[in-house]
Amino acid sequence: MKSGFLGLTPIQLTGLILGIAGLFLPLLLPIATLSTAGQIGLGIFIMAAIFWMFEPIPIYATSMLVIFLQVLMLSAQGPVYMDSELPVSNPVELREQNWQIPTEALRDDGTVLVSVEPGETQTVSVQVLDRNGQHAIVQSEELTTGHNIVTNPDHRLVNYQPNSYTDYIGTLANPIIILFLGGFMLAEASVKYNLDKNLTRYLLGPFGTRPRFIVLGLMLVTAVLSAFMSNTATAAMMVTVILPIIAQLEPEDRFKFGLALAIPIAANIGGITTPIGTPPNAIVIAALTEYGIDISFTDWIIIAAPLVLVMLVFSWWLLLTLFPPGSNRFDLKLEGKLNLSAKAIGLYVIFGVTVLLWITENQHGIPSSMVAFLPVAALVTGRILNKNDIRKLPWDVLWLMAGGISLGIGMSQTGLAEWMISGLDWGAMGYITLVLAFSIVAIAMSNFLSNTVTATLLMPMVISLQVSGVMGESFNLLITGIVVAVACSLAMVLPISTPPNAIAMSTGIIRTKDMAKMGIIVGVTGVLVILAYAVFYWPIVTS
Amino acid sequence: METSDIYILCIEDEQEVLDAVVRDLEKLEEQFPIETAISAEEARDVINKLMNEGKKIGLILCDHILPGENGVDLLIELHQNEKLHASKKVLLTGQAGLEDTVKALNKARLHHYIAKPWTKEDLNQVVIDLLTDYVIDQEEDILPFMRTLDANKLSESIRRRSVSDE
Repeated sequence: MKSGFLGLTPIQLTGLILGIAGLFLPLLLPIATLSTAGQIGLGIFIMAAIFWMFEPIPIYATSMLVIFLQVLMLSAQGPVYMDSELPVSNPVELREQNWQIPTEALRDDGTVLVSVEPGETQTVSVQVLDRNGQHAIVQSEELTTGHNIVTNPDHRLVNYQPNSYTDYIGTLANPIIILFLGGFMLAEASVKYNLDKNLTRYLLGPFGTRPRFIVLGLMLVTAVLSAFMSNTATAAMMVTVILPIIAQLEPEDRFKFGLALAIPIAANIGGITTPIGTPPNAIVIAALTEYGIDISFTDWIIIAAPLVLVMLVFSWWLLLTLFPPGSNRFDLKLEGKLNLSAKAIGLYVIFGVTVLLWITENQHGIPSSMVAFLPVAALVTGRILNKNDIRKLPWDVLWLMAGGISLGIGMSQTGLAEWMISGLDWGAMGYITLVLAFSIVAIAMSNFLSNTVTATLLMPMVISLQVSGVMGESFNLLITGIVVAVACSLAMVLPISTPPNAIAMSTGIIRTKDMAKMGIIVGVTGVLVILAYAVFYWPIVTS
Repeated sequence: METSDIYILCIEDEQEVLDAVVRDLEKLEEQFPIETAISAEEARDVINKLMNEGKKIGLILCDHILPGENGVDLLIELHQNEKLHASKKVLLTGQAGLEDTVKALNKARLHHYIAKPWTKEDLNQVVIDLLTDYVIDQEEDILPFMRTLDANKLSESIRRRSVSDE
């Protein structure tokens, strides 16, 4: 129920006020070690983080707002940086090593800034011999006549080269977003022509009628579908599969808890399997690509699928141990007929070809985002999806991801990300500690926040650990990124942790404490499994 | 269970019958508050009051024989009201003739006809069915209704809404 001021709850209202205050805070209380752009970026970051946490506005709206503010305040064409140029002047050599420079260029610590190239300066120390109003005479061995001395060391362009605004708005067409668009359109068409249901029916057949194998089948099918469709849509569909089974059970049979929990758990875990499985994967891939590490669709599956399998089998075992089946057989009554209309067959072909091209990316080398345009173009060309279907796509999620990617770009461009990690002594942290730290923090955060938002907030830190080199040899950017992506999807303690959890809980079959118990065990095990893979498996497959 | 702002309105002039209806729908009342009226006039007042409070009426359950007016005409009149267009309309009666019923179907988009005497199961089934359609049609967040209404139909509708992870 909405109530109160502006229809916001007290918590949302607090978030709104804190967020707006956060936007201006760094500008009111400037931080000396951060460039002007860094302060602006910090304001945007604080606002976004608070808005994403308290949700006074929808999370996709926060993403759009982030892009808008970046375009306005950080881009080369925005009012802040439009037409601005870094004021420089060349030193005048009076005698050997004695220079006349503008007094304003002198900084308190006895250095001047020399512009090396746009966005980069170098510190040159000078010794002041004399100053007379506008000019100062200094002695320096390092200065040359060719040096461009920054005459205003506090200028907003010091150590910042603004991006074109197109870099920020262009995130909506980032290759990874296009990859998701392709995935969304395939999923939309699959739902429209009931391909997801029919696949479920065929795939569940071999698992027979024994309860424990039915649960295994349900979990595997859910995971496979959610690797290509959204976890949420898969969970909603699978709920319609388990409700009739639960109706066959005795009311006091605790097995129903296990059945109903199997769906969200498998859907959450299944999303890890492919790049398009769930949005946090996209945030991580986009951030790594920005830094020059390309992960192919195939690579991702090789990296993630073995972990998914272990987590699924573990959860299956755990569910059966906690909620053992009370009877020996169930009838899975899955009705339906394969749609054999021309359009449906067109979809099956497009679906098959696309998925095949995706998983064999390493063999043919065509980037998955390019392949993603095959379903985009073919599904509308074949009128398999029409105008209304296109309008129904989850555009909010594409914007959410685009905003996240854009925030990441801004944070590394402004030097903010690097500044944020500078407070901790990372050098003292070993590889194992780092993996543990990131996985625990990511799981803890995304239990309360959107998984995408968690990845968005953590990835800039990961990237700057690499850029700053504070951790030296023991740091592995690719693996740390994967740790974040995987951990974000393993948070499933609460109904609010993920949409599949919310759907399962809303059926009224499970109790919050069962979900919390399972979620905690899966989360803790997840951290250990992540650590094991990060130590023994990922270094082998990523080197 | 959180109470929603979707109301069920029962219009019936015989107090005993009205009580029976309310008693039979007891389980749904936790989520869908029931308002009652014993005449067409009172029904209009109740509707005005609810509309002014910004509430919605998900279902109108109406007897045919009302003092001075008949249920079919009342439903037709209410259907003209734009805010009640989406409300599901049920005629609960033993006396409406074919002609009246056809009129209600055509002019008030009557959704269901329940003949007296009814069984509790049937009545609940009908109301759950219609309210499920109503929330799928009208509500943005339908998860809170999974427990009381038709979970299967609601899940199916979530699947078709092209939802995604966040």
